[in-house]
Amino acid sequence: MAYFKPNRRTVLAAGTASAASAVLGLSAPRARATTPVSLQLSWLHSVQFAGSYIARARGWWAEDGLDVSLLQGGPNAPVEPPVVSGSALVGISAADYTAAAVEQGAPFRILGVAMQKNPFVIASLLANPVREPADLSGKKIGMALANMPVLQALCTLNGVDVEAIEVVPTQYSAQPLLAGEVDCLLCWETDLPVAMAMEGIESVTMLMADYGYAVHSQTYIATEESLTERRDQLVALMSGEVRGWEAYRADTDAAAALTLEAYPDAGLDLKTQKLQAARQVPLMFSELTDEHGFGWWTDQTVEANIETLALLGRKVSPALWDRSILEEVHGG
Amino acid sequence: MIALADPLPERVRRGASGIVGTIVILLAWELAARALAGAYILAAPSDVVVHILQNSDLIWRALRETLGNATLGYVLGNLAAIGLAGAALAWPRAEPVVAGLALLVFCLPLVATGPILRVLYGPGPGPQITLAALAVYYTTFVPLLVGLRAAPASWFELLRSYGRGRLAELVHIRARASLPYLFAGLQIAAPAAFLGAMVGEFTGAERGLGLLAIRAIRALDIAGIWALASISAAVSILIYTAVGWLSRAVLRDPPPMILAPPALPRTGHAQGLAATVMRTAFVLAMALLLWWGAMTTFDLNPFFAKRPDDVWVALFTATDARETRETLAGALGETVVFLLPGFAGGLALGAGLAILLTLAPALTPSATLIAVALRSVPILTTAPLIVLLLGRGAAGTITLVAVMVFFPTFVACLHGLRQAPGQILDVFSTYAAGPFARLWHVQVPVMLPAFFAAARMSVPASVLAVTVVEWLATGRGIGSLMALSASLSDYDMLWSSVVIVSVLSALGYAGIGWVERRVLTVFASEQVAR
Repeated sequence: MAYFKPNRRTVLAAGTASAASAVLGLSAPRARATTPVSLQLSWLHSVQFAGSYIARARGWWAEDGLDVSLLQGGPNAPVEPPVVSGSALVGISAADYTAAAVEQGAPFRILGVAMQKNPFVIASLLANPVREPADLSGKKIGMALANMPVLQALCTLNGVDVEAIEVVPTQYSAQPLLAGEVDCLLCWETDLPVAMAMEGIESVTMLMADYGYAVHSQTYIATEESLTERRDQLVALMSGEVRGWEAYRADTDAAAALTLEAYPDAGLDLKTQKLQAARQVPLMFSELTDEHGFGWWTDQTVEANIETLALLGRKVSPALWDRSILEEVHGG
Repeated sequence: MIALADPLPERVRRGASGIVGTIVILLAWELAARALAGAYILAAPSDVVVHILQNSDLIWRALRETLGNATLGYVLGNLAAIGLAGAALAWPRAEPVVAGLALLVFCLPLVATGPILRVLYGPGPGPQITLAALAVYYTTFVPLLVGLRAAPASWFELLRSYGRGRLAELVHIRARASLPYLFAGLQIAAPAAFLGAMVGEFTGAERGLGLLAIRAIRALDIAGIWALASISAAVSILIYTAVGWLSRAVLRDPPPMILAPPALPRTGHAQGLAATVMRTAFVLAMALLLWWGAMTTFDLNPFFAKRPDDVWVALFTATDARETRETLAGALGETVVFLLPGFAGGLALGAGLAILLTLAPALTPSATLIAVALRSVPILTTAPLIVLLLGRGAAGTITLVAVMVFFPTFVACLHGLRQAPGQILDVFSTYAAGPFARLWHVQVPVMLPAFFAAARMSVPASVLAVTVVEWLATGRGIGSLMALSASLSDYDMLWSSVVIVSVLSALGYAGIGWVERRVLTVFASEQVAR
């Protein structure tokens, strides 16, 4: 059976073939036709979206045939228009903004929840701290007037008289707090307090999510049309996100370094990004996600959201949340 | 008599005054920053220099990006202005329509246009360039239209006696007469284009100075904030100065003495009124058609790109129409309270400073430096400082609006005052008339067309300014309502606000025009003649 007798030539041939396939294997994701899709971020590039950068850098989307563009947000770049018009497949929003858009006729569904806990905090200084909602009475709070419903909801949830708080409309900066113009700020856990920390100023932050303010944040939204017609792309995109964020959790410092490397023109500072990356973890991961995986939610958390959203004046149905994509990602 | 000898040429004296002025400004700035240390508001010039040196690579890349977009926008916007003015002149019947539509497009607030431009262009510099162009075309168009008429009647008569037509008129007379006014427009446009490109970056640009500014403000990076502000001011001053040099190199002819026959009285008041109503209705119809047509042509999704009929429904026939109208009226009330004093104050300051500098020309370089700097520093940066000095109440907002109105008025009036004909000034000198007499009888009347052009173009500019201040700093009024509506996807409310803001600007513009016609019929009838 000379046929099966390995000789030098066949071994060489096999070697060449496997070497060739190895080369092909490496380039396969690029060689295969990839579909270009866009993910509209909700703010400027930073570790806030580092899970996506990891997914892109490690080629996890390319493996699934997607070429994902990450579109930056900004002060005048709302997420809803590009998602509605189809120029972005998925957008990063929050349950309250999504609910408002749905009321206006946008056919959105929430596919995943990156921030299990809402990042809103009341930030104050050590000398005059706000540690619990009752401390707000008699304080001056600096915030955008647009967030008035948020403060009202927090007060209602905790039996605080909102009239006893003096609201000062300020720009989004820690400066009015440091200048003594206000006693506390309504801001995100991951931005102004981090900025103060980098200036060597210790602040006290009271996470509103710990006091009943349950609004899913950094949620992935897509249109109903995409859910029926571009399902494979949604599964591929979310699968990359899930893998990216799990890798992020494993090493937030590396995620911060990757962010700076990916966006050298963004004016980011490594130390700030590392601190922000670490402070973001408790908001994104919980027992729930440990058990079911990144982005998950249950009927109970949705119900809590619907109650808080009602306080914000938003009437929402549980059908706004569609877990089928995540189930496919985590199941498969 | 030492006073008679000219010790130093004019140019040297002016240069010296500019240098001394700069040093004084820098010193005052350094001292103010030292006094405010710890308040996180103002960084000293020394800290600013250190910051720029430490981050030179990053800042250089961002500057190249923003400056490139601003330059493209500047060129495109000014070309558009020249084209529009040419069209209005070549076809005089179209002028009210062209001017009306140009005004309405200029009124469009960033909050409404930004997201639409981003969806249209996708990632890239498209929205930044477009917003820079939109920020400049109108302030060039309006003075240019004035300049195209600023010629003595005798010149036209001469041309006609040779049997030449409108084209020759345009090439030989109007184009040359308009140059001083064109240069005023080009100077006004310099800081506006730069700021327009920066604000354009708020729509999701990947790099640029505007982006770094947002980042620095959130990060409490005071040195960074003022470094960016200083750079944008320095760039604007450089462009402004360069255009100034160019204008002095080109404008060799002394300003002409404009003698024009009094404007013919309108044939019957009722007919004039009917014509005005017809014209207004026509402009309105064109505007609605353009609005609907543009959105339909680009196939913009009606979720965020509301058509005229959507706004009609939202304001008049929807179940919550009454509520919408009340919200709008409330916000408008809050805005107008700041708008009117800011507008009036800015006009008075701009014209006043220009007049003052005619009496004391040695101060011109330093004063101009401050004026350009004030206009080109983003509101985002100066807002905390003004809030600190004047509080968050009315004074702060009014001042910010006044700053936006002040600059175009100042530049236009400065150019207008220079149009005083030498012959007449010589006559005054012969009679040993003092500088005040010259000012009152010659220079101020000659300045009037430029002043009114500035007042007209400042109407939409001040409305835009107040909405930006409300959006970014005070969180009240119609600017804040528009931002809130956009974030809550309430695009019916956003577009209703856009309509209200445009109507407000158009009314203000028409009001100024009414006063202008009455004044200029007496002082500059060549502007009123049809």
